[in-house]
Amino acid sequence: MARIGVFVCHCGENIGRTVDCHAVAEALGQVPGVAHAVDYKYMCSDPGQQLIKAAIAEKQLTGVVVAACSPHMHEKTFRRAASSAGLNPFTCEMANVREHCSWIHEDRASATAKAIDLSRMMVEKVKRNVPLSTIRIPVTRRALVIGGGIAGIQAALDIADGGAEVVLVEKAPSIGGHMSQLSETFPTLDCSQCILTPRMVEVYQHPRIRLMSWSEVESVEGYIGNFKVTIRKKARGVDEDKCNGCGACTRACPNKRIPSEFDCGLGKRPAIYVPFPQAVPNLPVVDRARCTLLIARSKGKKDACMKCVEACQRGAIDFEQKDRFVTEEVGAIVVATGYQLYEIGRDQGGRKDLHGYGEYGYGTIPDVIDGMQFERLASASGPTAGRILRPSDGREPRTIVFLQCVGSRDPAKGIEYCSKICCMYVAKHAMLYRHKENGGRAVVFYMDIRAAGKGYDEFTRRAIEEEGAEYVRGRVSRMYRDGDVIKVVGFDTLGGEPFGVDADMVVLATAMRPQPGIESLAQKLSVSYDRHGFINEAHPKLRPVETNTAGVFVAGACQAPRDIPDSVSMASATASKVLGLFSNEMLEREPTVARVDAAICAGCFHCERVCPYGAVTHMEVKDRQGNVLKVVADVNPGVCQGCGTCVATCPSKSVELQGFTDEQVWAQIQAFLG
Amino acid sequence: MTELRELAKKLLAEGAAKVVIGWEEGPRGVRPAFATDAAAADRLVFDARCAHDLAPYLDRRRVHVAKLGRPAVVVKPCDARAVAGLIRETQVKREDVVLVGVRCGGVLADPEAGGTLSADTIADRCRTCDSRETALADHVVGTPVEPLAAPSRRDARVAELDAMTPAQRWAFWQGELARCTRCNACRQVCPLCYCDRCMADKTQPQWIESSPHGRGNLSWHLLRAIHLAGRCVDCGECERACPSGIPLGLITRKVASVVADRFGHKPGDDPAVPSPIGTWRSDDPQEFIL
Repeated sequence: MARIGVFVCHCGENIGRTVDCHAVAEALGQVPGVAHAVDYKYMCSDPGQQLIKAAIAEKQLTGVVVAACSPHMHEKTFRRAASSAGLNPFTCEMANVREHCSWIHEDRASATAKAIDLSRMMVEKVKRNVPLSTIRIPVTRRALVIGGGIAGIQAALDIADGGAEVVLVEKAPSIGGHMSQLSETFPTLDCSQCILTPRMVEVYQHPRIRLMSWSEVESVEGYIGNFKVTIRKKARGVDEDKCNGCGACTRACPNKRIPSEFDCGLGKRPAIYVPFPQAVPNLPVVDRARCTLLIARSKGKKDACMKCVEACQRGAIDFEQKDRFVTEEVGAIVVATGYQLYEIGRDQGGRKDLHGYGEYGYGTIPDVIDGMQFERLASASGPTAGRILRPSDGREPRTIVFLQCVGSRDPAKGIEYCSKICCMYVAKHAMLYRHKENGGRAVVFYMDIRAAGKGYDEFTRRAIEEEGAEYVRGRVSRMYRDGDVIKVVGFDTLGGEPFGVDADMVVLATAMRPQPGIESLAQKLSVSYDRHGFINEAHPKLRPVETNTAGVFVAGACQAPRDIPDSVSMASATASKVLGLFSNEMLEREPTVARVDAAICAGCFHCERVCPYGAVTHMEVKDRQGNVLKVVADVNPGVCQGCGTCVATCPSKSVELQGFTDEQVWAQIQAFLG
Repeated sequence: MTELRELAKKLLAEGAAKVVIGWEEGPRGVRPAFATDAAAADRLVFDARCAHDLAPYLDRRRVHVAKLGRPAVVVKPCDARAVAGLIRETQVKREDVVLVGVRCGGVLADPEAGGTLSADTIADRCRTCDSRETALADHVVGTPVEPLAAPSRRDARVAELDAMTPAQRWAFWQGELARCTRCNACRQVCPLCYCDRCMADKTQPQWIESSPHGRGNLSWHLLRAIHLAGRCVDCGECERACPSGIPLGLITRKVASVVADRFGHKPGDDPAVPSPIGTWRSDDPQEFIL
């Protein structure tokens, strides 16, 4: 026979103001199976918890219902109290009479009646609760970091410095990411590569970091503490063990006219190349689509060129190399895949709704460039050795127009969010230009200036007030080439009149978007993403670096537009989360997971197809001779997150969520209706 | 007919199948036949009276058929969609069954009465069927047929019901479902109702009342509608089997149109295409959830 204790909390005035808590306790005392019912001012306080513990011992309670706030708030508190008094913690439940009742009602009589109903329902549920035990799973103390930009680098270093091993996967030939392409960084104007490259080298030399560049995550199996990740090591065409990075091959390659990705098409590179001189690892990669030899081979012709092979004294060039797959076991995953810039006037990688800005002539007018191209022009290691020159004729521009919010904050053109970094880097660009070209004009078209951050507003003010950048509030409607200049036609909304400039160069501050392929990676990891492809955090305020999938964390611009300090802070936060996770001997998981009744399961596997976490597997049911009688679904409790999608889908109701069984839910409904 | 019989004999003789499941003449029109030898294969028929969906006989739970050995089954396009459903839901393995597709111009609304196929006698579901033969077959027999041009009375009725007020619709269905005796013929005959234990037979708790009265009947038919959403192949067997003459096809037809509208899905004969009920997509816009 059940002996349930009901504890009604006033929550000070929070509940007591609207609900007659004493009446609720009295009414519940009359419910069959309730052995004890009291009310108290603050149930979560120490004396309140003592009340519960004492009653469990004294009245030999078999279950506890606390009618108080949301279980989100205090379920753990009361379960711990029940547990310390000798009850199974999962026989203690909360009836939410605060958020679901007192806070949303005004009439005391009906709110009290509702609180009684809610508590009665919970009593009927708890009568049918069975003791459950937490699921304990082992932890592999090794982390995978996806993406070798500044966020990935920081996360990898912090985790490795904390004592755990790290596998760092980067899809490009070198780590460094976008930060390695930048000239100077706001708001301090320190040289980006100067502060970044030591960290890159640190990654390379760290005894606990295994760096896999030119690699991509192929598939992910498993669950928190126990992921199994298959990584595709793309064929580099160069034997990593033999190559010493001398660069003879890249010098020997006759095909040197390929637009460099690193220089955003402003510079050239050969078909076997190291993306930039400070690359880590300093290993060349063969551009398979552009190598003369491989093109000839793919057409079945004989080898047309062997210049790099002849030049290499180590015999490291290997055209036979194939993609290799390696499997790594890790306990946690950090996603730090970063961003790409909105590609004006080009296909936006599957996003048909992103369009527009043809009026800016990007791609047709050579001197209209984007922000990253300007970074390369301004960079001392760039194609112009830091001189800002027009791509069309190599002349020094006398007037540069900068346009902010190209793509960003324009719902009509597909992106409503603010890309956050553009106001700052445009101010930086204007400043850098003015430093290099003293008499030059830097005109900035802006919607408004968003410079929230330490030293940020001071920085933009300095650009305007001290460095002579001309800021015009308004949008540009049209740009066209007129002889040697670009006519920029806009409207000054503060002056209230049309505004035109003859520019020698135009720099578009284009929107930040997540990397292409982020959706498929997110699906492999079972993490959710918004309609732009940014990874969703578990809670926007309280769990900003966790995702919906336990053990998968997120850092940097793949979660939302981020600048460098943000990305680094997030990366360190993920490292602290990962190390916290790794500090456990065993992981404890709530036992509210799905369980299949193999006797009834018809094996349609709808559950497997709808499970967002890949928790459902196939299990053979055999007779004593070992003959397979049928194949049924089975839930891996380590992977299951208890979402209940399978329960809703199962046609024969063969799956139940422990702690929320059909019987319990039915009893609650009956209690309410009865 | 000869082509079908010769193929059946060949399949049996070569051992490609141990039993050919088709139709034969019976005392009240045609009936399902299980031919295990040449003599029985010579009795197989196919014409417009062959309304029965034979796909349910592939269910391993029908042990009396399963013990006959590897089956070949004659399938109309709608039956092939049912087989596709069984394969999709791992109830049947494609390699475990030989599928003999028949070219079909529709079946009779009243197969027991017999007669020739015409715009008046054709079953209502065949009026909207756009499939004359199936791609899900190892062999296809019969001569190509042209569809009969006949308007669907069922679609007109669904439209009438849609136009009713909720109270009128409620009254209509209360009247229809009041005749349900809960004999479960609709469940038994449905090729996609194969569960070991139907949810309606669950007693702890009993979600669906088992006795035939308004409340339980309504729950049962709602359950069927939801479970068949995006899965019903429109073989029409539930309505044909119902001894009380409840227009169950109106429900399946309406649900199918909702699924087509919301998910752009129509159950076909490709087992690789997932059904909406068994699909979870992280990019599902879920615009219908407010």
